[in-house]
Amino acid sequence: MPALGRLAVCLALLCATFSVGASVAGAGWRRRDLVAAGAHAAYAVFALVAVAVAILLRALLTHDFSLEYVAAYSSSTLPVQYTVAALWGGQKGSLLFWVFVLSLFTTLVQLQNRERNRELMPWVTATLMVIAVFFLALVTFVTDPFELLAAPAREGQDLNPLLQNYWMMIHPPSLYTGYVSASVPFAFAIAALATGRLDDQWIRTTRRWALFSWFFLSLGNLFGARWAYEVLGWGGYWAWDPVENAAFMPWLVSTAYLHSVMIQEKRDLLRVWNMVLVLLTFTLTIFGTFLTRSGVISSVHSFTQSGLGPFFIGFLVAVILVAGGLVAWRLPELRTRGTIESFLSREAAFLFNNLILVGIAFAVFWGTVFPVLSEWVRGVKITVGPPFFNRVNAPLGIVLLFLVGVGPVIAWRRATPRNLRRAFAGPVGAGLAAAVLLRLAGVPLGWAHATFALGVFVLGTVVQEFWRGVRARQAMLHEPASRALARLVGKNRRRYGGYVIHVGVVAIFVGVAASSAFRVEAQQTLAPGQEMQAGRFTLRFERTESSEDAHVARLAAVVSVREHGRQIATLAPEKRLYKKPQQPTTEVALRSRLTEDLYLVLGSYDPKSGLVTLLAYVNPLVSWIWIGGAILALGTAVAMWPSALERRERAWAPGRVGVPAK
Amino acid sequence: MLNQRRFIVGAVLIAAAVSYLVYAGIRSTSMYYFDMDQFLAQRAAHAGEDLRVKGWVRAGSIVWDARTNALAFDLARQDGSAPVPVSYHGVLPDMFAAGREVVVEGRWADGSLAARQIMTSCPSKYEPAKAGS
Repeated sequence: MPALGRLAVCLALLCATFSVGASVAGAGWRRRDLVAAGAHAAYAVFALVAVAVAILLRALLTHDFSLEYVAAYSSSTLPVQYTVAALWGGQKGSLLFWVFVLSLFTTLVQLQNRERNRELMPWVTATLMVIAVFFLALVTFVTDPFELLAAPAREGQDLNPLLQNYWMMIHPPSLYTGYVSASVPFAFAIAALATGRLDDQWIRTTRRWALFSWFFLSLGNLFGARWAYEVLGWGGYWAWDPVENAAFMPWLVSTAYLHSVMIQEKRDLLRVWNMVLVLLTFTLTIFGTFLTRSGVISSVHSFTQSGLGPFFIGFLVAVILVAGGLVAWRLPELRTRGTIESFLSREAAFLFNNLILVGIAFAVFWGTVFPVLSEWVRGVKITVGPPFFNRVNAPLGIVLLFLVGVGPVIAWRRATPRNLRRAFAGPVGAGLAAAVLLRLAGVPLGWAHATFALGVFVLGTVVQEFWRGVRARQAMLHEPASRALARLVGKNRRRYGGYVIHVGVVAIFVGVAASSAFRVEAQQTLAPGQEMQAGRFTLRFERTESSEDAHVARLAAVVSVREHGRQIATLAPEKRLYKKPQQPTTEVALRSRLTEDLYLVLGSYDPKSGLVTLLAYVNPLVSWIWIGGAILALGTAVAMWPSALERRERAWAPGRVGVPAK
Repeated sequence: MLNQRRFIVGAVLIAAAVSYLVYAGIRSTSMYYFDMDQFLAQRAAHAGEDLRVKGWVRAGSIVWDARTNALAFDLARQDGSAPVPVSYHGVLPDMFAAGREVVVEGRWADGSLAARQIMTSCPSKYEPAKAGS
């Protein structure tokens, strides 16, 4: 069976290479048969890679330890859901999984565009298949997941215990989905540059793909944060580790693109800028993959040298040269004549939000690569840690949050004083009132205070937009409020979905600000029966309890929690000793409420004296980060749902006109 | 065209602000990251500064007091040579053990490294460390 998997991967590589050649030749010589052959070869790539993935999955599920990959990342006692997750738990499997997702999306794009975008499609196919060739070549020649051991292992080494967690099952697939789907807008951008069809067609076709990619990048980042929070046991969820930054940077640029593309659709401005953002988003996804696999930058996750670095660097350089060259070549045609008329306009607000987002991405990039750069330039490694990222991004984040409120309600072209008053009097008033009330309630002035006040301002703009929209429909069409609301959203899904996403973003901002500014930490060594204080909670260490199964040995400290003298919870943070890679891990005990989380860690246990050291963190409002993620997901669903207008548009799509019925 | 120029000025101002934040951030928060040999050669010049030092936990050097959470050990080259005493107060990281590679963040003063943080690298997610390496 493994031989079959390897064969499937090799054939897929051949098909993908053929698809690139046939598509480019077909486009160049205007040969429809060649273009069709290229497309069919791309379908074959998907089928073959799917077979390879199925074979690897089967090997994992049947514990075929003759495979090096299966022996390294699973074991016969690993629960079945983590055995499935082991498919992307290791380098080799994750690269195969990557190609699988890529070829799946290529197939979807081709099905969507069977009779549309005739001119663009061969180039789209070719671009996507070039990416597939790169990854398939890695899987074939460098990191073969079907490699056999000289002698089959009797038992696997098991999946890293830190990865045996619910969020770690869904975090990598979400992130890969986000990363890989960013190649679709990229491929269309390359196709537009190659063909010179630089109108809005490629942007409209990839609108939903860009949003889809952004959405999964958002989820991937949030799931990763949630995993870090539950598993790593240091009380936080984001450490500005290079691996986290690798996923955050494409998200930032992708967010910028989703906003600036509206300026192009509405006013036909910023065409070069949008093109650059799409190309940059994709480049950053490849850079992120490079960062996490090359070992160039030491991270807490400490990826060992895997020899993949030079390949990724080569591919990255090729992507930058080709994309940059194409943009330079088409620059005269990309330029637009229009200008932004005033600083007080939606165009300007969006432009500034773009600059801030790209600025944050730049700062994160700089902080991430600084150790390597300093070593090259000065021969000594200089590192920057979380304080750098927090210091730089706090002010930029605040400006960004302000613009989240301004952008959607300020007038296009040039805001008049009347427009400004109408749009901002209410929300600004609400924000100022919140600032004063929070100050009176004892919230100290600072980044967190500013974030809360600006959050209220943004919510004010969103509420006002919904309110005015509903009122206008009620007044004109005499609809009841509930139907007016449903129709209002239904007819402007992108706009109102966007507002809902903004509400989610505010929730995330508030959760991050509160939990970073007002976190309480306590650490104490206790004997059974002794107590410690963490914020307003009294923690009493009762006893230890131990248990053991085939997979893991557990030691729990049973802690009863009192608040104002009343018992409110019993928590049991654990130390675990996984048996196969003999590795101790920390299992956090969490009492999560909307107002704050009580986060308990069993720091250490001394069997001789029976003493435990407990670490307690009180993290205010941290739940709102996850709630904000859910609101963001809801808003994205609203924005992505096809509207009636679009369905009509699609029926009249230009590509369809004049196509003979089959 | 007047407007165009104003926007370019605005964009340049934002770029300058971001650059300044990055520059000031790096100036005030950056730390040298030394391996053992670099540290041994340069520690005198950087006494009292925040540093990161990468080395190995020398076998047999760990002294841990569970009552006070005080830890003392020697940071050394991989072969155990050139030991430097490290003191630390706090909870032991899960992966801390003799012979492991660790990064110590702290200050060099009076002949020892006062650690503020000890970072252990988890076994890599992508390539498991081969036995013996």
